[in-house]
Amino acid sequence: MKILIVEDEAKTGDYLKQGLSEAGFTADLVRNGLDGMHGGLAGDYDLLILDVNLPGLDGWQVLKALRAAGRDLPVLFLTARDQVEDRVKGLELGADDYLVKPFAFSELLARVRTLLRRGRARDAESLSLADLELDVLKRRATRAGQRIDLTAKEFALLELFLRRQGEVLARSFIASQVWDMNFDSDTNVVEVAIRRLRAKVDDAFSPKLIHTLRGMGYVMEIR
Amino acid sequence: MADWRHSIALRLSLAFALLATLVFAALGVYFSRAADAHMAELDAHDLFGKLALIGHVGAQEKTAETFAARLGDALIGEHGVIVTVNPKNGPIFNWPTPELAEPLAAAKVGLGRTPVRLVLGDAEYRVIAADMETAWGETAHVVVARDIRHHTDFLDELQRDFRFAILAAALLTAIVGALVVRRGLHPVRAIAHAAGRISAGQLAERIPEQNVPPELAELVTAFNAMLGRLEDSFKRLSDFSADLAHELRTPIHSLRMQTEVSLSKVRHVDEYRDLLASNLEEYERLARIIADMLLLAKADHGLLVPHSEPLALRPLCERLIEYYGLLAENVSLQLVGDDITVQGDRLMLERAIGNVLVNAIHHTPAGGSIVVKVGAVDGLAELSIVNTGQPIPTEALHRVFDRFVRLASGPEGGATEGTGLGLAIARSIVLAHGGEIAVRVGEQATEFYLRLPCPAGGAN
Repeated sequence: MKILIVEDEAKTGDYLKQGLSEAGFTADLVRNGLDGMHGGLAGDYDLLILDVNLPGLDGWQVLKALRAAGRDLPVLFLTARDQVEDRVKGLELGADDYLVKPFAFSELLARVRTLLRRGRARDAESLSLADLELDVLKRRATRAGQRIDLTAKEFALLELFLRRQGEVLARSFIASQVWDMNFDSDTNVVEVAIRRLRAKVDDAFSPKLIHTLRGMGYVMEIR
Repeated sequence: MADWRHSIALRLSLAFALLATLVFAALGVYFSRAADAHMAELDAHDLFGKLALIGHVGAQEKTAETFAARLGDALIGEHGVIVTVNPKNGPIFNWPTPELAEPLAAAKVGLGRTPVRLVLGDAEYRVIAADMETAWGETAHVVVARDIRHHTDFLDELQRDFRFAILAAALLTAIVGALVVRRGLHPVRAIAHAAGRISAGQLAERIPEQNVPPELAELVTAFNAMLGRLEDSFKRLSDFSADLAHELRTPIHSLRMQTEVSLSKVRHVDEYRDLLASNLEEYERLARIIADMLLLAKADHGLLVPHSEPLALRPLCERLIEYYGLLAENVSLQLVGDDITVQGDRLMLERAIGNVLVNAIHHTPAGGSIVVKVGAVDGLAELSIVNTGQPIPTEALHRVFDRFVRLASGPEGGATEGTGLGLAIARSIVLAHGGEIAVRVGEQATEFYLRLPCPAGGAN
């Protein structure tokens, strides 16, 4: 998967590139709008991460030029301003998603994966990891053959984890995906929810599947 | 730049001087006219008297010679009177001298009841003429003139005096006017002086409102009220800056300490990982404070413009309760009331209501309860969140929506995990929606209530 990052802030750009590369993507970085536009038009990228404030050509113009040329690769734009107009403008111009700086890198990664996954084959109807199994249609979860009773939200949370196995999920991403809470809350609601889910899914079983990455979020995997 | 053309003192002084000039000039004109008329009357009286005398003598004396002799006697002692009596064949009487009287005979003076003014030589006269039948059978033309030089001299003098008086009065009123205006404007200078003393450090300064002339009382009151508002805003701003500095300093201080201590010796890689993770948490906290502060700053400047769409309040509350309810483990949380539609920005309102709800959860002791109620009040949507537990102390009530206020009344001795901006943000958002938010306390409960506008068409 090839990703083009268009970001003029030196440190942010470098770390985005490093982080995405380490997450298994091929990431290229350009530092101005013009290079971004050329890269987006010519290269065979699967995704564009586009900063709005760029020298020369700004992010909006780059996005416009790409869409005008018929390039429909997914675009995730980054903005420093939390303005409704920015959000609306970006989505109107054909951006697929946006993130307001500062954001958690794990959140960006999760969004990138969502965008890259979009348009592919229908999501699987049954999910599993180790001896944990989830039947999405029947809303049933079992571990080691034992039925686990889950509330609707717990089920949604577990489904998210299983679909995103091995991915670090930021708390804000979880809140947005499971509860549709799209603002940065300074409460530990997600921690509480994870604790309860663990009590049902992990506590009485081995191996443990839900892991906490301090400061970053949670990941479901076999360690 | 002071422009002298706009000086109040100068303009008023000039106006006073002009007024004095006009009044004195009008008086002068009136007096000189009156004096002139009075003197003309006196002169006419005198002239008719002389005519009567001449007529009387002319009717009694039988010859021109005796007439002249007797009239000459009668006129002895008269000064400034010229008389000439002219029958057809030459003058028979000229008084006081023929040189003076003859030009008078030649002057064209019509017969009439009103004396006319006439200039002969270097003197001015009032003259009257009449025809007289003498006892010796002739018709004589009589002209009597009176020298009015002393009258005109008097009038000239009067006018000169008046001109001088006008000048003096104008000067005097200008000077006195300037002094009076200067004195009258003294309170204005006092206000200016007081205003000059006021700086950011002395916003408590006020202009004394006693001894202010009633004309300026309004100005002074308005000025003091403005100072009051400025002082209040300034105080809040500086308190806010101080709080902000403190809020940012604390996490930065701990970041620095942790990092310094960690770097002071070689450690295991897990310890470094812990350090970075801990730093990350602090960074998140800082980022959140800054984002919240930005939102509040925007709201303060009226830049928080909510997106406006109709929103069903009850489902919104249901979702918030489902989410935040996870925090309320030993608290019963229920939603009551009928649904109502409000007009607003979903993200912002979720955040505002969420913040109030979290605040209620933090302040409800285990075993307590929270009731969220939606409904319509006076055409507005009302959302009330009541939680049991130790009510907020009355003296702290007015501060609950202030920034960085954390009241230590929570079950664990205070909600210290938040940024202390939650309720301030809630209020800013509600106000940006044109709604209101308030708190009231009961015996063992605290109620926060929000009123929000409904879409046009009223509450449903």
